[in-house]
Amino acid sequence: MAVACFYYDFASREAQSPTNMLGSLLKQLLCGLGEIPGEIVKRFQGQKKAIGGRRLQLPDIVNMCTAVTSLQPTFICLDALDECAPKHRLEVLGSLVQILQGSPNTRIFMTGRSHIREAVERELGGRTTNVSIERREEDVITYLRTRMMKDTTPQAMDSFLENEIMKRIPEDISETCVPT
Amino acid sequence: MSRAFTDNTNSFNVSNSYNNITTVIADDEPKILAWLSPLEPQVRHQDICEQRVDNVGNWLLETEEFRSWYNGGESGGSDHVALFCYGEPGVGKSHIWYTSLLGRNKEHDC
Repeated sequence: MAVACFYYDFASREAQSPTNMLGSLLKQLLCGLGEIPGEIVKRFQGQKKAIGGRRLQLPDIVNMCTAVTSLQPTFICLDALDECAPKHRLEVLGSLVQILQGSPNTRIFMTGRSHIREAVERELGGRTTNVSIERREEDVITYLRTRMMKDTTPQAMDSFLENEIMKRIPEDISETCVPT
Repeated sequence: MSRAFTDNTNSFNVSNSYNNITTVIADDEPKILAWLSPLEPQVRHQDICEQRVDNVGNWLLETEEFRSWYNGGESGGSDHVALFCYGEPGVGKSHIWYTSLLGRNKEHDC
């Protein structure tokens, strides 16, 4: 099984073009394979003949991704898709549809704010399912317990303070929780 | 240009020419990877790995949506090949995918 992931970031949205993003996924998948398929090596060597080299175009990268993801079950994870520039987002979703069509053992995992949900559903048709992610008290408590176990100054903690932390922080977080 | 790249994607099934691995001259491999994309998401990935806490977000694995996606596709009888986890900023979306996938497959740990 192969996993490739990408993290969108507002501050880098111009550099995070669909071609660069899919190229980044492809790099990770190739590193996982351990070797580079001959077709890609040939394309690389061919482009060197052009003056200054030649960058890959989106259809090329999509075809390469489809081919490489077909070699084994693959998970592609895209984090913060809402931070992708809108013009890029549609191209990315369209590219994912093409990859999924050519590579039936590929799964896509995406995260993002709720306002892009409609666009994701529209572009991926009926092939997507949605889950609302909300703050959960059980997660907050697990997190706090783990952090306290790793406390580098445990001598500063007493049972009163520990109880206060375990009571107050989950309460405060549930009060500030924004319904999604 | 290879015809394989210009033809339809059906030519890229499991028995495609990508199964022919060419041994790359050691010096060329970093150049090929850099040519594919200048982006390096490893730094952010490392942050996610270091910040995450075991068992946080495990509830997602029990949802019907997750199971239908994870086990779906042709063999599982579901067509839900994409899962979209949505929510407001700060609810832990960026960490939950790690729990969902990498947490289940320890060989992919950082």
